[in-house]
Amino acid sequence: MTAIHLENLVKRFGAFTALKTMDLEIRDGEFMALLGPSGCGKSTTMNMIAGMEQPSGGRITFDGRDMNGVAMGRRGVGFVFQNYAIFTHMNVYDNLAYGLKVRGTSASETDRRVKAMADFLQLTPMLDKPSAKLSVNILQRLAIGRSAIVEPAIFLLDEPLSNVDAAFRAVMRTELKHLQRQFRQTMVYVTHDQLEAMTMADRIAVMDHGVLQQVGTPLEVYNDPVNLFVADFIGSPGMNLLKGTLADSDRGLVIDLGALGVTAPLDPALSAVARTNGVREVVYGFRPERVVLATAGQGLAMPVTFIERIGARTVVHFGDGEQRVKAVFDNDIAVQTGETVHVAVEPRFARMFDAATGVAIREV
Amino acid sequence: MNRSLTFEIFRYTAILLALAVTLIPTLWMASMAFKPIAEWSAAGADLTWWPKSPTLDNFRFIFGTSTSDLIVALDRTAGKPILASLLSAVFGTLIAMTAGTAGAYGLSRFGSGQNLPLALIQLRLFPPMAVMIPVMIMWAFFGLVDTWWGLALIYGIVTLPFAFWLMKTFFDDMPREIEDAALVEGCSRLRVFMKITLPMMRPALASSALFVFILNWSDYLIALLLTTREWVTIPVYMASLSSSMTGQLYGAKAALGLIAAVPPVIMGIAIQKHLVRGLTFGALKQ
Repeated sequence: MTAIHLENLVKRFGAFTALKTMDLEIRDGEFMALLGPSGCGKSTTMNMIAGMEQPSGGRITFDGRDMNGVAMGRRGVGFVFQNYAIFTHMNVYDNLAYGLKVRGTSASETDRRVKAMADFLQLTPMLDKPSAKLSVNILQRLAIGRSAIVEPAIFLLDEPLSNVDAAFRAVMRTELKHLQRQFRQTMVYVTHDQLEAMTMADRIAVMDHGVLQQVGTPLEVYNDPVNLFVADFIGSPGMNLLKGTLADSDRGLVIDLGALGVTAPLDPALSAVARTNGVREVVYGFRPERVVLATAGQGLAMPVTFIERIGARTVVHFGDGEQRVKAVFDNDIAVQTGETVHVAVEPRFARMFDAATGVAIREV
Repeated sequence: MNRSLTFEIFRYTAILLALAVTLIPTLWMASMAFKPIAEWSAAGADLTWWPKSPTLDNFRFIFGTSTSDLIVALDRTAGKPILASLLSAVFGTLIAMTAGTAGAYGLSRFGSGQNLPLALIQLRLFPPMAVMIPVMIMWAFFGLVDTWWGLALIYGIVTLPFAFWLMKTFFDDMPREIEDAALVEGCSRLRVFMKITLPMMRPALASSALFVFILNWSDYLIALLLTTREWVTIPVYMASLSSSMTGQLYGAKAALGLIAAVPPVIMGIAIQKHLVRGLTFGALKQ
């Protein structure tokens, strides 16, 4: 129930800059995911919000209050660690009760809240068990419960699901979302797993190499990546990215896809932007889900190199080397390895990036 | 793993040899402790593995209640040396563990005093004898010679590097997130240390303390130099168990040795479950 504002936030560790400069507004009650590959600065950002690390520059405010110099115990944040950090010398009950005890909550109130939380997280049968011998799934619930029980205004989670098994991860994604709906905290969730970010977050902040790349709702980030990094990072498989040159033709501005020997038509709006922009060397991008089979003589003629069946969907890999294309079809697609197939993408689903800078060329 | 027969034979021979080297002297001592004088003295006809007529006479002798034919006048009994050993080793261990744990924690968590580890290990580069003469002079100046507290102090100093290094390794291994988790709940640093860190470190504290205690308990040289009469420890007292008539009083020494082996064994059993490092800290997945 607190808005977090990061202004010009910088973090250096000696000569290494973990976070170049970051401006981010996390709204009151929002579920914000910080998403990026390892070493992108997402955990550093989170640790600074929690107060575990001090910023080298810039400031962090909670509802306008400057947090600089405020000890982490006084910030009103809950923190769930990737490795759970359970107090193994205590039983489950005492772990849950810990935060309340530190705050001097009365015994009866503590007992009531511990039991309610245990009930919510299905920990009731193991309340008096020593926490050292629990499975990782249970430990993860316990870690979440221990932080959530004091109802912090800000809830910070650092890759909480990266160690649990896949089935349990799916369960926890739903439960975390429920938890947040129930308490309406502001949640900041660090992850390198885009599925977690996509499914849970209200907005996603994509980071790379200490730089914030894009902030937006899951669909904005997915549909309209601001640069090549986001385009490639988000989506599984990521966006198809083909190098090309803008050229004039009788159909208007088109992208000459060089090695593929074809030209791709452009959406009128996009072509208008490209004309004013003046860039010639571009990267043509489209989501694998947007690829459709075309009749012979239309679209790209490409050899099928590999077919990956993932249950409901089938991923078909075309071509190789520089000009590789992936497409996702329903699982009843009738193609075979080695066969040459014509594929096409509707121009309105195509995206275009400046090949030199990687920045998206789009309407503003 | 499919090892060859030769390898297995070699392996078990090596194990048996190692066991023999450690166990035979211990068994011999235990057996000797219950032998009457005729069976352990040079005058005895034959040496046997088991006492032919077991007796507690050796124990009675060192506690001054012997009625046997060991015609030796003991100038003191084993009671005081046992007390001296217990007091000096226990308090020495307390000093080393308290200072070592505090120092190790500070260094491990805050990185202050970067030269401390090396400085401490330097203490162990010298043979203790190299510094014992100055220590004797200092102890004499402070009136600490021949007192159990003087001995406890030097034991604490001498074993501090061990306590420090052991505890530092354990603290380094303990994930900081556990402390951060308590700090973020609003716990003070001191409370985190007392309520979270130390309780979780119980296994580490127990095994380090046992190690330090055994070092102190078995010291001979320092006690020989720093005690004269009132507070001699078991090893020093043991060396004095001889007479001009019978030479070394092996039976009495064996009896005392057996008693001296009791505290480390009891401690070892008491903290056995902690000695298994398998109980690593925290339910953590790295």
